[in-house]
Amino acid sequence: MEYVRFVRFRRSLWDDFEERLRSARTARLRHADLETLALRYRQVLHDHALAATRFPGTRVARRLARLAVEGTHTLQHDQGDRVATRFFSQRFPAAVRGLLPWFGVTLSLFLTALAFGFTLGVAQPGVGLGLLGPETVAGLSEGRLWTESLVTTVPPAIASTGIATNNMSVALTGWAGGALFGLGALYVVVLNGFMLGAILAATFHYSLGGRLLEFVSAHGPLEITLILATAAGGLAIGKSLVAAEDRPRAEAVRAASRQALVLLLGCLPWFLVLGIVEAFVSPAPGIPANVKLALGLALEGLFLTLAWNPFFKEA
Amino acid sequence: MTTATDAPEGRILGLDNIPLDLPLAGAGSRSLAAFLDYIVLAVVLFVFVVGGSFFAFFARPRGTWWIAFLILGLFLIEYGYFAGTEALTGGRTFGKRTLGLRVVTDSGGRPATGAYLIRNAVRTVDLLVGVPLMALDPKSRRLGDRLAGTLVVHERAEAELDVVLGRVPRSWGAREVAVLESFLLRASDLEPARAEALARELLAVIERDDPTFFDGVARDQDALMVLRTAVARP
Repeated sequence: MEYVRFVRFRRSLWDDFEERLRSARTARLRHADLETLALRYRQVLHDHALAATRFPGTRVARRLARLAVEGTHTLQHDQGDRVATRFFSQRFPAAVRGLLPWFGVTLSLFLTALAFGFTLGVAQPGVGLGLLGPETVAGLSEGRLWTESLVTTVPPAIASTGIATNNMSVALTGWAGGALFGLGALYVVVLNGFMLGAILAATFHYSLGGRLLEFVSAHGPLEITLILATAAGGLAIGKSLVAAEDRPRAEAVRAASRQALVLLLGCLPWFLVLGIVEAFVSPAPGIPANVKLALGLALEGLFLTLAWNPFFKEA
Repeated sequence: MTTATDAPEGRILGLDNIPLDLPLAGAGSRSLAAFLDYIVLAVVLFVFVVGGSFFAFFARPRGTWWIAFLILGLFLIEYGYFAGTEALTGGRTFGKRTLGLRVVTDSGGRPATGAYLIRNAVRTVDLLVGVPLMALDPKSRRLGDRLAGTLVVHERAEAELDVVLGRVPRSWGAREVAVLESFLLRASDLEPARAEALARELLAVIERDDPTFFDGVARDQDALMVLRTAVARP
C-alpha cells in the first residue's frame, strides 16, 4: 500500500523537522538552520496535505497535522513588535493624527456635558452638592475645599501613586469601554464632563470656584486631554465594530484596536507625571497660582508637541 | 497568509493555501484556565502585600515612598499579570500551561506583544461578556481575541507513542489502517483477555482480505503477538 511507502520514505524528514522544532524553542537559530527549518516546514505542510486527503485518521496524518500547526506557530511571528523601536517618534504621532477626528468628537462631547453640568449646577445647586456628598458640602460651607485633605490626611507620595493609578484606571475604562460599541468610552467622557461642570457650579455657589480652578490648573488640562484621547481610541474601536466600511469587520476592528492601543500606551506614562503634580504641586499653598497655571500649560504643550511631532514624516 | 473566513471552525489556510485545522479551545477549558490564573493572581497579590508589610515592619523605612511603590506594584500586578506572562512565555499563562492551552494569531502564528496587551486590556469587559461571547462564537473568541486577532488552541501532546507499520493488507484503505494502528497503540492499556479477543478478530479480518499476509509468520503464539510481528515486517 502507498501508505507504507509514504511513511518509509518520508519519516526521517518528519523526525528531523520535529527535532529542529525542539531546538528552535530552546536555542537561537543560525540563518542556515532557519532556512533548513523553513524548507522542512514546507515539506511537512505538503506531506500533511497529502496525508489528510489520502490517509485521513491514520497516526501519520495526525502527527503531520500536529507538526504543521507547531511549525506554523514557531516560524510565523506577528511583526507588531518592530514598531516599538520607533514608538514615540513615529507610531504614537501617527496614531494621534489618525484618531484626531475622534478626539474632536470626545472634546465636543466633553465640553457639551461640562456646559450642561455647569448650567444645571448653577440653576439647581443641589445637583453638584449631591455629587460631592454631605461631608464635602459641610467643608465648602466652612470655606474649605475637599482637595486640601489631599495633603493633610494622605502623604503626597502615596496620594500621587493613588491618583496616577486611579486616572489610569479611568483611561483604561474609557479605552476598553470602546469595545462595547463605543458606549463605555462615551460614558466616561460625558460623565466626567458633567461631573466637572456640576462640581464647578457647586464650588462657585460657595464662592470657592476660583480656588478649585487654581487647584486643577497644574494637572487638569493634561489630565482631561489624556482621558479624552484614550476615550477617542475607544470610540474608534466602537466605530469599527459598528461600521467596518469596505473592509472585513475583523480586519477593521483589529486595525482600530492597534491604533488605539498605541495611543493608550503613549498616554499612560503621562499619568505618572500627573499623579506627582496633582499630589505635590496642585494642593501646595506655597506655590503661586500663576506658577501652577504655567506648569499646567507647559505640560499640556509638551504633551501635544510630542504627540503631534512636528518632524513626523508619513512612512 | 490569509484566513479562510467561510472555512469550518478552526480551519485556516496556511502556506501554499494548505488547510490547517487548529485544535481550538472551548469556553469550558478557557474559563477553567482563567479561574486558575485568578487564583495565582490572588496569591501573588497576597504575597506582595504581606511582603510589603513585613518590609515595613522590620526595615522601618523612612518616609512613605514604600507605600507608593506598594500601590504601584499592586496596580502593575493586577493589570500586567496576564499580558506579561503571555508575552514572556509565548502565549501561556500558568492556567493555560496547566490545561495545555496557548494563544496564537488567527493564522496560527505567534502573536506580537501588542496583541497580548490588546487582548488583556479589555479583560475587565470580558469578565462580563467573555463567556457568552465564547459560547456563541464558532472559534470560541472572547472580545479581547476579536480585537487582537488571536485564538486559544490546545497544545497537542508532543511525544505521542507511535506505531510504525511495515506493511498492511493489500486491499486496506486509510480507515482500516487507522483502526489497526489505534488498536496496536492501545492494546497494552486493555485487559489482556479483551486485547487478545480483539486481536483474533483483526487476524480473521486480515486473513479474509489478504490470505497471504501471514505467510512466514509463526502462528504458535498469541494473536496480539502474531499481529504485531506480521505488520512490523518490511
